[in-house]
Formats: sequence, structure tokens, C-alpha cells
Amino acid sequence: MALNDIEVQKRIKHMLAFIEQEANEKVEEIDAKSEEEFNIEKVRLMQTQRMKIIEYYEKKEKQIEQQKKIYISSIRNQARLKVLAAQHDLVSELMNDMKVKLIRLVENPEVYQGLLYKLMLQSLLRLLEPVMIVRCRPQDHLLVEAIVQKVTPEYMKVSQKQVKIQVDREVHLPMNTVGGVEVYSGNYRIMISNTLESRMDLIAEQKMPEIRKALFGINPNRKFFL
Amino acid sequence: MTSQSQGIHQLLQAEKRAKDKLEEAKKRKAKRIKQAKDEAMVEIDQYRMQKDKEFRMKQSKVMGSQGSTSEEMEEQTREAIRGLRGSYSRCAEGVLTQVLSMVCDVQPELHANYRAAD
Repeated sequence: MALNDIEVQKRIKHMLAFIEQEANEKVEEIDAKSEEEFNIEKVRLMQTQRMKIIEYYEKKEKQIEQQKKIYISSIRNQARLKVLAAQHDLVSELMNDMKVKLIRLVENPEVYQGLLYKLMLQSLLRLLEPVMIVRCRPQDHLLVEAIVQKVTPEYMKVSQKQVKIQVDREVHLPMNTVGGVEVYSGNYRIMISNTLESRMDLIAEQKMPEIRKALFGINPNRKFFL
Repeated sequence: MTSQSQGIHQLLQAEKRAKDKLEEAKKRKAKRIKQAKDEAMVEIDQYRMQKDKEFRMKQSKVMGSQGSTSEEMEEQTREAIRGLRGSYSRCAEGVLTQVLSMVCDVQPELHANYRAAD
């Protein structure tokens, strides 16, 4: 028995409705899922990019901090150097003043003579050679010749040695030397410098820590200063 | 029979319509996901600009303070040097006299271990 037309129509209507309903449900599903994925994707992208940006700027901030530290340390160092340079300049000033005073001192012939005698004796007793040559300023030559006469017996008494002391006639100390003598062994191989400036330099060098302390006060940064 | 083929035709059309609806939905989905990317980009750019602004402000603040720091240092240095000069002018005379007296204090002497030769 064939189904009559009405039945067929009804069936077809149902099937059509079914197809449409299924399609609509599927579409709804797709739409819902697409919203979900939209949100997920957007949040994901934003999070990763945000983190990257934060990292980037944090790194840059650290760089700035570092630069700042480097800057501060460098100006601190510069400052220290400036102070040290000022100290150094003042010490040089002192040395120059000292030289001037020294020159004035040796203008006194009595004082200078006494000094010269002791300087010579000291050099001779240091050198202890059988033949020694004394070199002096040209303007001191005669004075030194006279002193040699007096110092030779004194030397021989103290050292218990025979000696021949000469005054250098060919070469003299520069005229602008402050004073004092140089003493050479006979073959000019050994030299003792006992000029006033070499004494001054030696003493200044050895006493520099104390000079600095006396001039500028104790340095708080030195832990082992005696 | 015509009604049969009509029915089938209707069904086929319905299926086609359904398929089209699904296609459209899929297209919408792809578009939506692309939208996610685009919107994210826009918001991220805004965020980046914000962060950049904040950073620049910090940067200019730090650079500014550097100027004043170096000023301070300069002043401290000048102060220290003034102190040095003051101390020097007070003590130089004394030190000079002392050192000079050492220079002129000549002690001619033999070495402690010296023995006169026989």
C-alpha cells in the first residue's frame, strides 16, 4: 500500500524541519565555540605580548640604574683625583718654598762653611775609598780646597785609613746648585751625592707620610698608618 | 511521480541550505578568530605606549638627578680643597722649619759594622 500524498507531505515536512533544526544547532555550536576561542586567543596573545613588553622595559630600567651607578662612581673618582691633585700641588709649593729658604740660609758664609765641612766628612766616611775626589760649585772651589786640608786628618782619625782627597778641577757642579758636594771614588765609578738639594729631596721623600699628616691631618682612609 | 521528485527536491534544497549555513558559520568563526588577533594587537600597542611613556618619565627623572648629584660633588670637592688650603696655610711654616733643620742636621758617622782594616 503506497503512502498517500498527505502522509508523504507530512513526512517530508518533518524531515525538512529536522534538517533545519540540526543545521541551526550545529551553527549555534560553531558560534559558541568561536566566541570561546576568540576570548582564549585574545587573552593568550595579550598575556604573552604583555610579558614581553614588561621584560623589555624592566631590562631597560636596569640599564639606566647601572648607567647611573657608573656615572656616580666616575664623578666620585674624579672628585677624589681633584683633591689628590690639590694636595700634590700644595706639597710642591712647600718644596719650592723650602728651596728658597735653603738658598737664603747658605748665604750666611759661617753657616755654610760649617755645613760644607760636615757634608764632606759624611760623604768621605760613607765612601771609604783610598782616593776620593770632591766636586763642588765653581764659587765654592777655594773654600772647599781649604776645607779638604782640615777634613783629611779628621777622616783619617775616625776611619783609621790613609787617604788622598782631591778637589775636582775640571768638572764642577752647576752654578745654580744650592750647595754641598759630590764625592767620587778615584776612578769615578762610585759617587755620593751630598748636595743640599739631594738631601732635601731624600728627606722629603722619606718623610712624606709625616709631612702630609702634619699639613693635612690624618687620613681616615688609612688603616695601617703608624 | 512528480510529488516524489518534488519532495526529494525540497529535501535536497534543505540540505543545501543547511550546508550553506554551516559554511557561513565556519567563515564567521575564522573571521572572529582573526578579530581576536587584531583587537589584541590594538590593545597591546596601547599598553606598549603606556609603558613607554612611564619609562621615559623615569629616564628623564634619573638624568635630571644626575645633574644635581654632580653639582653636590663639585661643592663637596671645593669644600675639601678649601679645607686643605686652610690646613696648609696653618701648618706649612712649622713643617718647613722642621724639614730644613733636618736637612742641615748633618751627622758624619761610620757604618755600624765598620771595622778598621789591619
